[in-house]
Amino acid sequence: MAYVIGVDVGGTFTDAVLDDAAGTIVAAKAPSTPADYSQGVMDVLAVLAENLGEPLERMLAKTHHIAHGTTSSLNALVMGNVPPVGFITTRGHRDSIYIMNVEGRYLGSAPHQLQNVMGQDKRHVLIPKRHAVEVTERLDRDGTVVVALDEESVRSAVHSLLDQGIRSIAVSLLWSFKNAVHEQRIREIVGELDPEAFVALSSEVSPRIREYARNATTIMSAQIGPGLRDYLGRLESRLNDGGLGGPLLVMQSNGGAIAASEAPSTAISTVGSVLTGGVVGAVSLGEQLGHRNIISTDVGGTTFLVGLVVDGEPVRSSTTIINHHPINVPTLEVHAIGSGGGAIAWIDHGGNLQVGPRSAQSVPGPACYGAGGTEPTNTDANLVLGILPESGLLGGRKALDVEAARDAIRTRVAEPLGLSVEDAAAAIYAVQNAQTGDLLRKTVVETGHDPRNFVLYAFGGAGPASCAAYAAEVGVREVVVPLGPVASGFSAFGLAASDVVLAQELSDPGQMPVPAATAQGHFEELERRLGEALGRQGLTFERVEYARTIDLRYTAQLAEVTVGVPAGALTGADMVAVMDEFERKYAGLYGEGTGFSGAGIQSITLRVQATGALPFNPQLPKLGDADTPDPAEALAAVRRVCLDTVVGYVETPVYDYRLLRHGHVIHGPAVIEVPTTTVVVPPHMTGTVDHLGNLSIITRN
Amino acid sequence: MAMTIPGSEHFSSRPIDPDVLAAGLPDSLPVHSVTQEQIDALDPLTYEVVRHRLWSVTDEMGEALKRMSGSPIVTDANDFDFAICDEVGQEVQVGLYNTMLAGAVDLAVYWTLQHRVRNPGVKEGDMFLCNDPWVGGGLHQNDVIVYQPIFHDGKLFAWTSAICHEPDLGGVGLGSFSPAAQDVFSEALPTPPIKVVRDFEIQDDVAEAWIRRSRVPLLVNLDLRAKVGANTVGRKRLHAVIDQYGADTVKAVMKRMMSDAEGRLRGKLRNLPDGSWSATGYQDQSHAGDRAVHQITVKMTKADDHLTFDFTGTDEQAGLINCTYAGLRGGVMLALMPMLANDIPWSAGGLMRCFDLISEEGTINNATFPAAVSRAPIGPAWSTGSLVAECLSQMMDRTVEFGDRVQAGCCGTHDTAVLAGLDQRGEVPTPFLNIVMDVMAAGYGGRPGADGMDTGGLFCIPMGRIPDVEMTEYLYPLMTLWRREEPDSGGPGRHRGGVSGSSAFIPYGTDLPVGLVVASSGKGVSQNTGLAGGYPGNTAVGVVARDAGVKRLLAEGTLPLRLAELAGSQDLQACYGETQVAPDDLLYLHWQGGGGYGDPLLREPELVAHDHAEGKVTSTGAEASYGVVLRDDAVDRTATEALRTRLREERRARSTADVAPGPSHAPSTGKRLDDNLVAVGVDGVEVVACAHCGRQLGDPRTDTVLTLARFEGPTSNAGSHVTDDPGQYVDDEIVFRQLCCPGCYTAIYSGVVPAAHPQHVIDLDRYVQA
Repeated sequence: MAYVIGVDVGGTFTDAVLDDAAGTIVAAKAPSTPADYSQGVMDVLAVLAENLGEPLERMLAKTHHIAHGTTSSLNALVMGNVPPVGFITTRGHRDSIYIMNVEGRYLGSAPHQLQNVMGQDKRHVLIPKRHAVEVTERLDRDGTVVVALDEESVRSAVHSLLDQGIRSIAVSLLWSFKNAVHEQRIREIVGELDPEAFVALSSEVSPRIREYARNATTIMSAQIGPGLRDYLGRLESRLNDGGLGGPLLVMQSNGGAIAASEAPSTAISTVGSVLTGGVVGAVSLGEQLGHRNIISTDVGGTTFLVGLVVDGEPVRSSTTIINHHPINVPTLEVHAIGSGGGAIAWIDHGGNLQVGPRSAQSVPGPACYGAGGTEPTNTDANLVLGILPESGLLGGRKALDVEAARDAIRTRVAEPLGLSVEDAAAAIYAVQNAQTGDLLRKTVVETGHDPRNFVLYAFGGAGPASCAAYAAEVGVREVVVPLGPVASGFSAFGLAASDVVLAQELSDPGQMPVPAATAQGHFEELERRLGEALGRQGLTFERVEYARTIDLRYTAQLAEVTVGVPAGALTGADMVAVMDEFERKYAGLYGEGTGFSGAGIQSITLRVQATGALPFNPQLPKLGDADTPDPAEALAAVRRVCLDTVVGYVETPVYDYRLLRHGHVIHGPAVIEVPTTTVVVPPHMTGTVDHLGNLSIITRN
Repeated sequence: MAMTIPGSEHFSSRPIDPDVLAAGLPDSLPVHSVTQEQIDALDPLTYEVVRHRLWSVTDEMGEALKRMSGSPIVTDANDFDFAICDEVGQEVQVGLYNTMLAGAVDLAVYWTLQHRVRNPGVKEGDMFLCNDPWVGGGLHQNDVIVYQPIFHDGKLFAWTSAICHEPDLGGVGLGSFSPAAQDVFSEALPTPPIKVVRDFEIQDDVAEAWIRRSRVPLLVNLDLRAKVGANTVGRKRLHAVIDQYGADTVKAVMKRMMSDAEGRLRGKLRNLPDGSWSATGYQDQSHAGDRAVHQITVKMTKADDHLTFDFTGTDEQAGLINCTYAGLRGGVMLALMPMLANDIPWSAGGLMRCFDLISEEGTINNATFPAAVSRAPIGPAWSTGSLVAECLSQMMDRTVEFGDRVQAGCCGTHDTAVLAGLDQRGEVPTPFLNIVMDVMAAGYGGRPGADGMDTGGLFCIPMGRIPDVEMTEYLYPLMTLWRREEPDSGGPGRHRGGVSGSSAFIPYGTDLPVGLVVASSGKGVSQNTGLAGGYPGNTAVGVVARDAGVKRLLAEGTLPLRLAELAGSQDLQACYGETQVAPDDLLYLHWQGGGGYGDPLLREPELVAHDHAEGKVTSTGAEASYGVVLRDDAVDRTATEALRTRLREERRARSTADVAPGPSHAPSTGKRLDDNLVAVGVDGVEVVACAHCGRQLGDPRTDTVLTLARFEGPTSNAGSHVTDDPGQYVDDEIVFRQLCCPGCYTAIYSGVVPAAHPQHVIDLDRYVQA
């Protein structure tokens, strides 16, 4: 019997989930250790072994692989905690990363920040100018050498960087994605001058047209590459010392894993790994529950993350934004749309109630945590409304201070609005749910889908209290709250369920239909590279699948639409079919008649994703059946709860999740207390405990 | 006054009382509205929920429009916008793109309700198209609005609109821009509202009549469909909101959004000092061949919670540097929204109730038909906004609370260059037309607490962007030799203006000459003015280097990085002109940075050293403009102190000061007026004194103006970033003028202006009253 282990290193906690491919799932939790995250990983594995009832060495020896998601790279970038990096680019174009196409001023800002132009700045430069140097060389759009690489200019540029103590260098030249020869030669020269220096080439990290994003991507990859290399090396050796049998894999933004030894060279691909675990978990749970279209919502104390699964596949994006810079990383599309349980309620200058986007964060946290917070948050409102018990979470040790919550709401919201504390709390709850609904709807609609065709999954500590309400706002009929053994470590569960996914892309802008032979040549080259890369993972796959896509647009549009391309030998008819599919997809996104093929269709970037399927498909264990649908045996208390401003406080049953069984039916209004969270079943809705221990809430008939 | 064409006044739209407008509508067009009681009865919860929903409707429209358009001006420059209006056209919510368009959208709806209801009718399923800047919807003909009435239960409920700048709509000039134009007949044809969608279907006859005029009809067609698509998104979403919350509730929220924005702006105004502030700015040249300077002047009066902008004294319309009333109003909005409504939802219909406009017809920012207006948004409307921003900044600089809203002049225009020719890189040669966007990477003005943003963009397009060099080279037969930030281009100041940049292009992939149209301003007279003694940013420069020999240099393995490295001659471009870029020529564009704030001699020397390390200031500029001496990249404190003393002495030596020293006051006892001036109480009256040395500069009982030391000399005195020969552009005498405290010689004002420029900053009554 072999194990697979998913380890998710978050900012506060490290979660682990083990699956034995025979129906056993064990979870563990330990504090994260920011000084050296590998310590927290070793700690959580020790707890996991204890929970499993096996010595650590034996557990590791039986482990097929560990899939690891880490927030450390992203944190390092966001906090600016990265080593100095040198940047080498084409003469005349150093300032691309300072001009930032102007958009670096506002990319990734919330709406209220976008409107406040004078509150924006460009201080988040990637590197100081003295670390950015130019070399003499030039290619044109076809990749033809216009000016040959002046190797003396390279040597002097590299020396100037090395003299400044730089040990990691990003190389990104104009049009290098069409012809990498100059970038490759620069790497050789760096190697001659300093064999230990870390070098990232844009033609490898991100061979995509548009130099600013490619430069930024390459620089960030060089910023986190050395740290990731050191960290993974350290962790791998500790695991090997501990007797780990299989390889260590690292989760990537694209929702698949990659061997730890392969990760540092394209380090940027791992940057969003911690965000995507939840979506992968949703896909896996969806397979068990038969859900193909899922809105995955992960609501923590400070973040509200949304991912989408359409027809069984997570929705992907080819670009993300980090620190206001556009970054070319194929990624599962995860939107941060709000501030979670800590979102602060406040009154604006016009006397209107607002919730968020500011958050009380984990410190000081909501007023009711008694840690110095004085501003009212969602969590405070939930406490005043009776949704949360004053005793705190079942699994927690800390009581909540309802008076502090009431004071905060009274002074900051109720009195300015002339409302009672209770009505003010209900208003905060309602505003928060409606706004979340708007943002959710926007997220779904902008991918060209109708939210009414989706099931919503809600996990994270702060989501289940509101999920049924915001799901109803967007018209979703069924909500699933995963509550089984992995409720608190859903991301780690997703990691354990993940396969190896590698992607390669390349830009070759051209007018459609591009000759089938040209496209075929590109795809075969990408597939050949992927085949080699899969071979380096140190794993045996059950099967390997290649998926081809191409990004198309009408003439000079900024945004491209990604369309699938058939496998095998391509014909001219295939290319025309791809154009037709683009036009169909475009019309679906923007409405019939909005496309106009007369303007011409251009192909921009070709991409292949290879999935190496691993022989694990973790299944949640089944829960015992209830004798009767009536959940009376799980009733823990009845308390006054307000879920609706009009109805006010109502005597509401409160159930202890630990006593619920498969088949119990809970009619709203009701509250279910789970060790890790609190679930609300609103009035006129019905919740059912399924065979895996999840709560399924139907929002309407 | 300029001649106008009889009958053209029919097309002049003006704001109208919404009640009067509604009352004038025939019974055939029933209108949905709500009573004040219904608006007052809204509970805060419903209001906030529905308000947020309407915001997300507008936002989705914008996303759809931006993604669907195929014009780089939309997708890259973000020169577009969109709005939701109430049933009579008042703007409930506008987008964050080209903010000037907020001044124009409602005018088109008002006009449509006055002139299209009876014939051809305003019905469900209609969409109108308009590019007549007198009617509204846009500032010049290239701004094309598509807008639709939305009906609920058979009643006119609201309007949505989408506007994009189209790359070319015909006329004699490339990009519909004729630098020699004397009237609108040389430009794209203005089209008053026509019904392009009827019964939810695009009318091919109308659409094709529309695109036929363009040099790039396919792009214009794609954009037309993008705008129709964006409106469709808006209609569907708005109907969904109505279905969920009810028409009356949604309408009540729309009305209250406007009154809420109005109320909050009025509240802010009440907390600002009353008074009047004036500003005057310039367009150097009005068209190709012109050598005159044309002024726009404004007097802003703030009384209690209301603003009045009086533009009396603005020059007569001339050449093509004109805008209609829509541009005048849009110009005001470009300053007002980001500066005063930064934290107020942009319910522009409410915000616009807080000010009045006074302006003479037939002037450059209130032009009558048939004035040429292709320069409207980036010429006169923009200048209007810059002058309004200057007045607002000077008003707010007196406060601490609004100090973070104060800003010296930003880049004063979009330094237009249109390149068109034949792309011979493919199998079949194809025509191309490129409006260069690099020039949008302009500098922002310095502020009391911060430097201006370097290459931060254009103040009037909060979400603008410029295309990647690779995208330009992919789309057009051009090679960009460099695109970079230019050191010293930010106006020197205690807080430096943001630097601008420069780009250099050569034809690459065409062996025919490339046509070039240039249209800019701020080349001979500064538009990016400094504030509180700060210097203006750089003057713009455009050069075609003839027979530059770049291809030979490339073949030899050299990448030239400056004009001095090129062979041949340099052909300096006037503000307006038409020429060709031959295969061996090079086009160089250096656009405007931002103005500085405060006296640069007061800048913290360490910041200058940092600027030097980051390529924002040269060591020469550090010494000449800031009096900072750098040794091995570090500040030489002693040498810096000596140099700064010497520079003050030079100011003293070159200036004329009229009067003997007067009384002094302890500056710390004064009330802030700006970076350099304080109001000090003396015998129950406030007098103005220098904030640095305490010298009294004006007493309202005896003076009408401040007593300052005055210097006027060649523009080269402003720094190497300003043209040393304005005579290359205009005949008017252009000077560097500096006004200093006659006690300590701190700069109170530094400008590059016509010698006849009125000196508004010395008006004593803008600071204190007797």
